Amino acid sequence: MKYRPATFFCLFAFLAMANSARLCAQTGTNADVAKATNAAVKVSMSAATNATPVAQPVKSRPLTLIEADGPADFDLTVRRVIYHDHVRVDNPEMKLSCEWLAADLPQGGEPVTNIVAETNVVIDATDDKGQKLHATGAQAVYIYAVQSGVTNKTVTLTGNARVEYGQAVLTGDVIVCDLAHNHLSVPNNPKMIIHENFNSPAAATNAPPVTNRPAADTNFPPGKLDLVPEHHVPPLNH
Amino acid sequence: MTVSVARAPSLIPWLLVAGTILFFAISTGRTQPNGGQHASDFTSVEYFEPPYQQQMKSRVSGAEAQPQAGGLLVIRQLKLETFNPDGKPEMIVNAPECVYDTLNHVASSPGHLKAQTGDGKFRVEGDGFLWRQNDSFLTISNNVHTVIENARK
Repeated sequence: MKYRPATFFCLFAFLAMANSARLCAQTGTNADVAKATNAAVKVSMSAATNATPVAQPVKSRPLTLIEADGPADFDLTVRRVIYHDHVRVDNPEMKLSCEWLAADLPQGGEPVTNIVAETNVVIDATDDKGQKLHATGAQAVYIYAVQSGVTNKTVTLTGNARVEYGQAVLTGDVIVCDLAHNHLSVPNNPKMIIHENFNSPAAATNAPPVTNRPAADTNFPPGKLDLVPEHHVPPLNH
Repeated sequence: MTVSVARAPSLIPWLLVAGTILFFAISTGRTQPNGGQHASDFTSVEYFEPPYQQQMKSRVSGAEAQPQAGGLLVIRQLKLETFNPDGKPEMIVNAPECVYDTLNHVASSPGHLKAQTGDGKFRVEGDGFLWRQNDSFLTISNNVHTVIENARK
């Protein structure tokens, strides 16, 4: 089954809206799986959720905390720091953990422009609408740059990259989270799984259950395992 | 502006030794019970190579320095500062105590360390450190805790 990018986007947006806009949900299977081949996926994070915006309290200058169990190496010549062993990063926008992390040292109040996290990378974030994002991968690269007055802020996940956003699970060879424009993209081999929440009020419906079971291709009575091919085993000769 | 920050031959050990000798020459001095001697309020400076030879590259200071065998100095209330060629402070390191190897230009300690960038927006502390002055490389061994003040959105 192939889905073009537009189909992916519409499906993702539709299902996200279905959760919050109380569209009727089917009962039966608890997951729809869509897989696209040779297609890129771009998901607008802000468009994919109708979650109630979270009020942003007035905060002082936000802080980023980095802790590590192992050593940290500060190379002041190239202005880079490397943390080892159970590295944890905590800032107002996200939490990250990994085993190895390298970051450039900010200069003159400038923001950190490059961070590389490796080995068992786990990222938990909440967008400005309160929607949670959970991402994992073998490596994550954060890049911040301002070019021609345009701010680019991306996190690129590689190595069993996986992003859970709302009810969707997105996997691919590479997943790019564009933090400046709030969208995800999967350039190659994307796969998306969307879990319906049937315990939500939206699932409460009087409609008769509808299954996704394919139409029976035999005349066997109901209850017969008509999809299981029968094998005629020859009798044993003793 | 491209700036060459190639290292000049380190003057720190010579300055430290000269400062220590000068201190004992002009002061009454204080003698440790075991006969060892120590200097107080010393400062040692390293400069950039030309054309910035007038600019400090790093400055090591301490409240006390006690010479040890093998060219070692036990420094108390260490303060290490590095600077950009334009004179702005780059990194400031404070430690209650460390051992400075004047031959290899290495400072180390198993104790606590606090460091921050010149603007104070990047602060780090931890336990145990090694500072290699020749290549401006600092390793903090354990319990590394960093705080970065983010730019306002």
